[in-house]
Amino acid sequence: MGAFNTPERPQVFSGPPLLLVLVVILFCIFGIRLWYLQIYKHDFYLGRAQENRTRQSTMFSPRGIIRDRTGLLLAENTPAYALALVREDCPDIPGTLDQISRWTGQPRDDLQKAFEIGRKRVKHFDEQVIVPNIPFELVALVEAHRQDWPGLAIAVRPKRSYAYDETLAHVLGYVARANEEELNNDPDLQLGDNVGKQGVELMLERMLRGTKGLEEFEVDASGRVLSSRVVSSPVMGEDLDLSISLSLQEVATKALNDRAGSVVAMDADTGEVLALVSLPSYDPNEFVVGISHAKWKELLDDPLHPLQNRPVQSTYPPGSIFKLAVGALGLESGTVTPAKTVFCSGKYTLGQRDFRCWNKGGHGVVDFKKSLRESCDVYYYQLGEQLGVEAISDFSVKCGFGVRTGIELPHERTGNMPTPEWKFKRFGEKWQRGETLNYSIGQGFTLTTPLQAARFVAALVNGGKILRPTLLLSEEPDVQGELPMSPAVRKLVVDAMVATVEEERGTARILRRPGLRIGGKTGTAQVVKLMDKYEKKKTHEIPYKYRDHAWMVSFGEKDGKRFVVVSMVEHGGHGSSDAGPVAGAVLDALLGVQTEGGQEG
Amino acid sequence: MFDRRLVFHINWGLLTLTAILFLVGVMNLYSASTLRMASGLELDAYFNKQLLWGGVGLCVMTAVVLVDYRHLKSVSWPFFILCLLLLLGVVVAGKTIYGAKRWLDLGFFNLQPTELTKIAVLILGARLMTRMEGRLGWVSLGKILLVGLVPAAFVVKQPDLGSALNILLILGGMILFKGVTSSVFKVLAVVIPVMLPFGWFFLHDYQKQRILTFLDPGNDPLGAGYHIIQSQIAIGSGGFWGKGFLEGTQSQLRFLPEKHTDFAFAVFGEEWGFFGAMVLLILFCSFLYQVYIVTMEAKDDFGSYLAAGVFFYFFWQILINIGMVLGIMPVVGIPLPFISYGGSASVVNFCMIGLVMNVAMRRFVFKKG
Repeated sequence: MGAFNTPERPQVFSGPPLLLVLVVILFCIFGIRLWYLQIYKHDFYLGRAQENRTRQSTMFSPRGIIRDRTGLLLAENTPAYALALVREDCPDIPGTLDQISRWTGQPRDDLQKAFEIGRKRVKHFDEQVIVPNIPFELVALVEAHRQDWPGLAIAVRPKRSYAYDETLAHVLGYVARANEEELNNDPDLQLGDNVGKQGVELMLERMLRGTKGLEEFEVDASGRVLSSRVVSSPVMGEDLDLSISLSLQEVATKALNDRAGSVVAMDADTGEVLALVSLPSYDPNEFVVGISHAKWKELLDDPLHPLQNRPVQSTYPPGSIFKLAVGALGLESGTVTPAKTVFCSGKYTLGQRDFRCWNKGGHGVVDFKKSLRESCDVYYYQLGEQLGVEAISDFSVKCGFGVRTGIELPHERTGNMPTPEWKFKRFGEKWQRGETLNYSIGQGFTLTTPLQAARFVAALVNGGKILRPTLLLSEEPDVQGELPMSPAVRKLVVDAMVATVEEERGTARILRRPGLRIGGKTGTAQVVKLMDKYEKKKTHEIPYKYRDHAWMVSFGEKDGKRFVVVSMVEHGGHGSSDAGPVAGAVLDALLGVQTEGGQEG
Repeated sequence: MFDRRLVFHINWGLLTLTAILFLVGVMNLYSASTLRMASGLELDAYFNKQLLWGGVGLCVMTAVVLVDYRHLKSVSWPFFILCLLLLLGVVVAGKTIYGAKRWLDLGFFNLQPTELTKIAVLILGARLMTRMEGRLGWVSLGKILLVGLVPAAFVVKQPDLGSALNILLILGGMILFKGVTSSVFKVLAVVIPVMLPFGWFFLHDYQKQRILTFLDPGNDPLGAGYHIIQSQIAIGSGGFWGKGFLEGTQSQLRFLPEKHTDFAFAVFGEEWGFFGAMVLLILFCSFLYQVYIVTMEAKDDFGSYLAAGVFFYFFWQILINIGMVLGIMPVVGIPLPFISYGGSASVVNFCMIGLVMNVAMRRFVFKKG
């Protein structure tokens, strides 16, 4: 008998029934809420719990190192320190950035910008690099104050280091921090990563870079690591053995003697490039640590364009070295025979216009061999006139002129072997007959690169194989085609080149080394049609930019090995006297000729 | 003094439910005390201590059951006044731990008078209501409220908002149970909701922050909102069957704060899932239902009011604690009976159950005088 059974008391919202109602409400509210959290939203919360306790970190893979053909280290990795921020652990990000600014002396706004860009790409519990490549003294200073700045971290990243500074800049190129575009295009890249920007570093990026690994940690609430497992192991980048010989590269660099120009040395039978010099050069190490704006502007504004990789990125008229191709075409097509002669009076008249030979006195009676040996222009004016522009272009393209070599270097230029259609498209003008004559001696619209010239000469001496020049050691030779000439014709051309070196009046006599079989051909490429006022002057009296480019293509043989050396001195003046000694020095090194410096290849 | 026949009237259902809840609590506390470190599992001391406190509680409960509850009427005033004096003592000579002045150092242990006060207010409230006929009018309501407000004022000063709220809510629940006149009801129904916003100005900054955070936990996920977010992650990630005993990552890896006290239910929900949480919820509801039965079957009004007070003592704690853990109530430091670790709280819990059992056992006893 309860206390509430008296008739005047019963009421719904007081007494025991109130308690029953409350219990039912309690059960319903919590039952529904538990269903909502544990069943309806289970996946969401399970994900959040997983996120709480796992952290991932990248395992960096060292980039492959680069060696020269003798095993000398050209590019390696050294540890570098970076100031990084872990956002999750950093309670006062603006204050920490202030402090970083005080330590490094970098403007606060720059750091803020770096931080804003980075935060989109780096997870909140990962190290976000704010200032890369800090000096060791700063590392020590920051370490000493670490406990005052939670969330601040010293990140260790491998840094690329180039041992020979400017000597190999145009071969190796460099790596530098990946930019926004590269990060967007390549999901494997992380902020702060370096990627190849130039040279083989760029072209062989895939091979050199390797694959990053991923490590997963189980952590507790305070971030202590309880266990870890490697999700994927990092794969080291492949090491690269270049065909370049550092010592030869140094000899060639020295021989150019600070003039703007190129030197290419190549194994004629394999296509291996032994030296590839482009001057002026730059220090690739500066790009790795982030080149300063002033320095960058200086490089861009330099009238000699140090960033230009001349052997593959600069095109020049070939000048008289083109006569090797035109002469071969003459023989191959039967237009001339080796014995057929032309009389050179010092000029060739076409219509109303006189085309002069470089030798104003004339070469007299000129046969094929003499035409190359003494580089008689009149012989080639006449031959070109007979062959016609289309035939010359067709043949020279088959010889590899005006065709990219495909070497492992970026931004290679094509060059140009002109045709009447090309000229009409380009300028809207008809092809003039006189232009064919200029074309025959490698002037005018015709453009080639030093490396294309080297590939052609290599094909002349290696049995006619057009090989892809390569910077990699021990690659299977990549035959791109055959020279469009018979072995007999090829032999005549090569013999003429030897005669150019060996015989009296030969224009490449400067390369003569007793006891060695060396062939050569000079070239002098006009930059502009020489104005009359400069015509009688010596090279050094003409303003630099109007001076001719000097070419020397050559080959040398020793112990069954055949090497091609092409030197090209921009605005150098004359092929023989200016480009010749450069090629000579490289040949000496290659063929083991003792010189005063005592260098040996 | 003790009639042997009373043993036959022991409320076995209530006793069984209490035992099950206590054991579930101990088991859950074992998990909540476990920390997974790199070196392996480590056990905190909470688990052993809770067992000890359970033993103490059992003794206190037995003692409470032995004495006929009707004698409590005569000691209600002296007990209440003693509690007030102790609270005053805390103000004057209390011991400060973690910035709160809640304890009296008695040499051999630290007494928390607040816990005793809850019992004293409950008994005195029940006694005063017994004397009042019908529904409560303005005067009666005022008297009863005073019984709660005076000690609550001391407790708020300690500061211990949770306990002060607890005291007032117990009394408020009893008042609702007793019923108020329709005029009082109409006025209160308007005035209380209107006054509530003014209460805002009496809150400490951290308390305001908790309410703001409750309304928008994402606002400060690493600060004040951390508890709420992590607790829901723990519960939600449990799914239907839970992650299994000792397998809860949120608790083992200490993402869940206060996991052995205020957020112990989250540990349970994570490891035993929806299934386990519902079983525990049903246990709690059955427990409350048993107390409800006692309020109906009590021999006299005093017994009925006492049981109602105990009902609300547990009801509010369950509502507020689980509500907080599930993210539907603001964070208030109120533990979950039997599940949360706490020495004094355990003893008081058993004491309260002793009161209800006392009333239940004597429902057939004839009045002696």
